[in-house]
Amino acid sequence: MTPAPNGAPPALTAEEAMALAQRHGLERLGGRPPFGVYIRRLWQRRSFLWTLSKAQASNENAEDRLGVLWHLLNPLFLVVSYFLIFGLLLDTRKGVDNFIAFLSIGVVVFGFSSSAITTGSKAVVGNLNLVRALRFPRAMLPIGVVIAEALATLPAFGVLFVVMLATGELPKLSWLLVPVAFLIQIGIVGGLVLVGARVLSVSRDIGNLIPVAIRLLRYVSGVFFSIDVYADGHPLVREILNLQPLALPITLTRQALLDELSINWTYWAAGAAWSVILLLVGLWIFWRDEANYGRG
Amino acid sequence: MAAADRIPSLIASHVDITYQVHGAKKAAAPVADPDDESLLAGLFKKGRDLATQQKVEAVKDVSFVAYHGESIGIIGRNGSGKSTLLRALAGVIPPTRGDIWINGEPALLGVNAVLMSKLSGERNVYIGGQAMGLSRSQVRERFDEIVDFSGIGQAVYRPMSTYSSGQAARLRFAISTAASPDILMIDEALATGDADFRERSTAKVAEIREQASTVFLVSHSNSTIRQICSRVIWMDKGRLIADGPTEEVVAAYERTLPKKAAAPKPAAPAVQDAPPTGV
Repeated sequence: MTPAPNGAPPALTAEEAMALAQRHGLERLGGRPPFGVYIRRLWQRRSFLWTLSKAQASNENAEDRLGVLWHLLNPLFLVVSYFLIFGLLLDTRKGVDNFIAFLSIGVVVFGFSSSAITTGSKAVVGNLNLVRALRFPRAMLPIGVVIAEALATLPAFGVLFVVMLATGELPKLSWLLVPVAFLIQIGIVGGLVLVGARVLSVSRDIGNLIPVAIRLLRYVSGVFFSIDVYADGHPLVREILNLQPLALPITLTRQALLDELSINWTYWAAGAAWSVILLLVGLWIFWRDEANYGRG
Repeated sequence: MAAADRIPSLIASHVDITYQVHGAKKAAAPVADPDDESLLAGLFKKGRDLATQQKVEAVKDVSFVAYHGESIGIIGRNGSGKSTLLRALAGVIPPTRGDIWINGEPALLGVNAVLMSKLSGERNVYIGGQAMGLSRSQVRERFDEIVDFSGIGQAVYRPMSTYSSGQAARLRFAISTAASPDILMIDEALATGDADFRERSTAKVAEIREQASTVFLVSHSNSTIRQICSRVIWMDKGRLIADGPTEEVVAAYERTLPKKAAAPKPAAPAVQDAPPTGV
């Protein structure tokens, strides 16, 4: 149709092109694979996912001299400042025997949620170079960040056990449940990050709201106070706050570690349910837009 | 064109690509002395500029069929949509309208395709290789070969941000050809290497073509295009102007360029710079 100076060969109509493609078995580009296939591809390429997570983990610390040490120092400073402000100044220790251990668990566990959601939501928009250069299931980027952040949190968990012993908690069998609580949290955070990554790729402005949302969640998730004690008079509010997906992992870890709390299996079941549902919903929501992440 | 028995490797059918550009200014506003304006007015002005959105039609109604064993050059001025088209063909930018069919897995090699610049070349080799579908052990097997081919030696253990543009381009070229892709797309990457590397990369491209793959090459160097390509597509302002044998199309393209302007001098009469696209 274009009257070109050198005469480009006349373009095929859309129908002719499609017929030619089908005759020779060409695949249409840019569509997204069926959801099941997508999940299978993610699983098949898990070694790439591992490479990507490790790369992202070191990318983050590449320019700090103390490198990985910050993963220990940050939660430590946070615990100290929260203890000064909330523990001593505002005194939110009500109803908690071992407040330092209680607070440390809150800070470390919520710290993972907070950093994974903050960086993970930017995993696609922040890596457009990679997205525009290579073809791979895009969900690997946000999932890679979650894995990287989980790895980075492990030293802090080590510190947590030290704090437990130092504040007089005695090792008990339920300490073995801590990794289970962490896995539950990884699923929950993974689902939220996948949703966040898609939302941000559609509208970057929303990225400015994420720190606000995280701060709000930090204050209602019982990081430095006991939800049970503070919401005692309002059973409905208490249950909503307790069963909220970012508060649950904190509660579960506290039940596993602290002597003053016992395991409540209802909470564990709720956590597992949140984890599976949010992860699947997150994957599904992210997959819906798979073809469009390169556009940016 | 008796092409009945040739097997197509890529079909582009009426492809349009429109970019949504955020935060760009529409036009240069008359520059006043910033001190003249009150702080408040300045803030509001800034907010308005940030909120503007523009649509850039980078590629308009492009159709063609590429066959196995062809190497196709894409030429045109800056901002003519070459790189954008190439990215769409590689499947990393979705077309706004139209369809692309493809046979096999494409690999895109672009100047801007820095993978992760803070990390070492070694890490980037693993990321790139695995993203193109190699397994970790396959990358390990080919690692020495990749580094040898790139010729960057021990620099591979330094962060990529410390590389010269030539070194980075060479490493990327080595990575993307290591997986012997079905369709290789090269965006200007050959221009940065030295003479020795250009020779080796030209040989590599020929080798890939012989494996019945298709090679696309975007380049401003007409000599590179003549050396490597059997067919050329000429783009101008997002449209496909010509598509045919290399010599014919390049010659026609050269006739539109200012005479003997070997050095990029701004003296050319009618050469209006095309508006920058998001390329």
